[in-house]
Amino acid sequence: MALQVYTASLLKEGLVAYLTLDNNLPSWTTDIHQATAAIDDSLEALKKAAEQSEQDNIVVAPYAIDVIKTDSGIIAATKREQIRATGPTIELPQENIRVSRKAA
Amino acid sequence: MYQYSDQDQQLLLERVAQFRGQVARRLKGELSEEEFKHQRLRNGLYLQLHAYMLRVAIPYGLLSSDQMRTLAHIARKYDKGYGHFSTRQNIQYNWPKLEDVPDILDDLAKVEMHAIQTSGNCIRNTTSDPLASVARDELEDPRPYCELIRQWSTFHPEFNFLPRKFKIAVSGATQDRAAVAVHDIGLRLIKNETSGENGFEVYVGGGLGRTPMIGKVIRSFLPKEDMLTYLEAILRVYNTLGRRDNIYKARIKILVHETGEDKFRELVEAEWEKIKAGGLYLKDEDFAWVKGFFKDPDYELLPDNDTEFENLLLSNTDFARWVDKNIELHKQSGYRIVYLSLKTAHQPPGDVTADQMDAIADLADKYSLSQIRTTHRQNLVLSDVKLQDLPALWEELKALDLATPNYNHVTDIISCPGLDYCALATARSIPISQAITERFDNYDFINDLGDVSINISGCINACGHHHVANIGILGVNKKGTEVYQLTLGGSAREDAAIGKIIGPAFEADEIVDAVEKVLSVYLENREDPEETFLMTYRRLGQAFFKERLYG
Ligand code: HEM
Ligand code: SF4
Repeated sequence: MALQVYTASLLKEGLVAYLTLDNNLPSWTTDIHQATAAIDDSLEALKKAAEQSEQDNIVVAPYAIDVIKTDSGIIAATKREQIRATGPTIELPQENIRVSRKAA
Repeated sequence: MYQYSDQDQQLLLERVAQFRGQVARRLKGELSEEEFKHQRLRNGLYLQLHAYMLRVAIPYGLLSSDQMRTLAHIARKYDKGYGHFSTRQNIQYNWPKLEDVPDILDDLAKVEMHAIQTSGNCIRNTTSDPLASVARDELEDPRPYCELIRQWSTFHPEFNFLPRKFKIAVSGATQDRAAVAVHDIGLRLIKNETSGENGFEVYVGGGLGRTPMIGKVIRSFLPKEDMLTYLEAILRVYNTLGRRDNIYKARIKILVHETGEDKFRELVEAEWEKIKAGGLYLKDEDFAWVKGFFKDPDYELLPDNDTEFENLLLSNTDFARWVDKNIELHKQSGYRIVYLSLKTAHQPPGDVTADQMDAIADLADKYSLSQIRTTHRQNLVLSDVKLQDLPALWEELKALDLATPNYNHVTDIISCPGLDYCALATARSIPISQAITERFDNYDFINDLGDVSINISGCINACGHHHVANIGILGVNKKGTEVYQLTLGGSAREDAAIGKIIGPAFEADEIVDAVEKVLSVYLENREDPEETFLMTYRRLGQAFFKERLYG
């Protein structure tokens, strides 16, 4: 099995989040680098915590994704999950960049 | 435009209050996601790749300037300062928080807008011609009919749980600017040569997605009084017989295909016989009432020429280019229709910032009778601009980056959100559209190519209409890599056609070259500049292009 982390959407904000287990205390972060990665049997604890968070209505639809450890931290293994982790790969439209609006 | 009655407004406010309660109960944990999902989808709220996504209906693409300002306010206050105009003439917000959605819906309700029936298996927003009531080739304004359809279909109890979503488009002109042939039902206003009466040519079973199909004409002439009874008959047959066992076979196009066109027609006609004289039969007073909302404005009597305009046309090449590409003749002398291009190299196709929206609302007030239209090619239209105002308007649009002279040209690309936003996507589409736009960002080249369309979808659902583009691009995932299939020869207009896949897919860094190659094959082989890409493709055939592309 591959190294995995748990991800979901935060119920309130809808944002992508990752599960961190700190001394068995679960919390959710939008930064994949802070996610707790696990493999094989130790995944079970993550799974349980993720399901509990779903029941507690903190997150929606948790699932495990494959990740890779790199020098700069954890990254998701698939393109889809990489884009989910870091946001659209395009520049978002910005206000005030090219718009000069006259004061009313 | 249509004005809500007290009853309409009341209904809407009740619906928002109801959803506010549902959101509160979800946040408190009294509703599970499974229970809540159905309720949020009834209110246009999806959970997408990065966040919630709210789809707001713009009935037949018509907006007042005040509505546009509200859309700007929502983008600014609750989102990241922009919105996305979609191919179904709606607007989507990509980053709302669940707890804010009831407030957003309240703000929308204040300007007679909502997100009802923008998702789910119901009758969706009816789309239409963005040039309705101002085009020179129009037989009759389609919007009163769209409004009747909207009133009939909104909260229609019988059609709230159809086998699958259902999309209707209505066009009233010779040129089809509403893609009627690729909708579940397409209505085309035509004149009955014998009686002189206007009525509809009825297309059923068009659609894109996994199984693209051109709609079949199941009735060559339907008197307009019978519009709703006939629609009801079609929907009833579909609701009863449409497949619910397989989501991929649930659209009406599959039913029409599997039943056979003739048999399907028989079923509809039989159902129609039972209800045609019923309460949905439209009377003169119904038309008079609804048409009252869509009266022509009091146009000024103006000459169809203007010295300042003509001088600028001669002296300023950029202005002349813009006029050539983004201006259309108006039925009224002294007026013009102006396309606001939402296709630049700087922003994803269809994206508009809150500041731009506010500014567009101001321009509509100043120059175009306070109305804006959205188009299915993801652009905007100011429909009633005086010829004499074009120079001033152009200056303002340039400052807003909304004056790229490319309407219906190669960089006027339709693109779905793709893997940058969409949970169903298999590949990104926006970066490809931007790469193509950058490559061809040269007026002379764009101009020389003439009328040609490129559409891009990020998966087989085909929200980017790639099947009906002259050059369609479909992103797929091949063993973890995004690759792009090219389809050639599609059209969404009167000569609607589904394009064909030309050959093996291209990698992301090859697809722009491939498009360029296809375009150069056209340029080298057209008989003259009058022969469009599509005409050349149809004359020479797929094999000819394939050989040159892969050979
Ligand atoms: C981003 C979230 C979106 C999701 C999850 C989504 C989902 C889908 C799905 C599942 C289909 C295929 C349905 C079927 O054939 O039964 C589809 C088709 C389609 N969608 Fe979307 N879509 C999204 C965005 C958009 C956008 C931005 C537009 C433009 C308004 C759009 C317009 C369409 C159109 C025109 C079709 C194909 C035409 C048809 O056969 O109905 N969608 N979409
Ligand atoms: S075509 Fe696919 S990727 Fe594009 S918006 Fe539709 S569902 Fe998403």
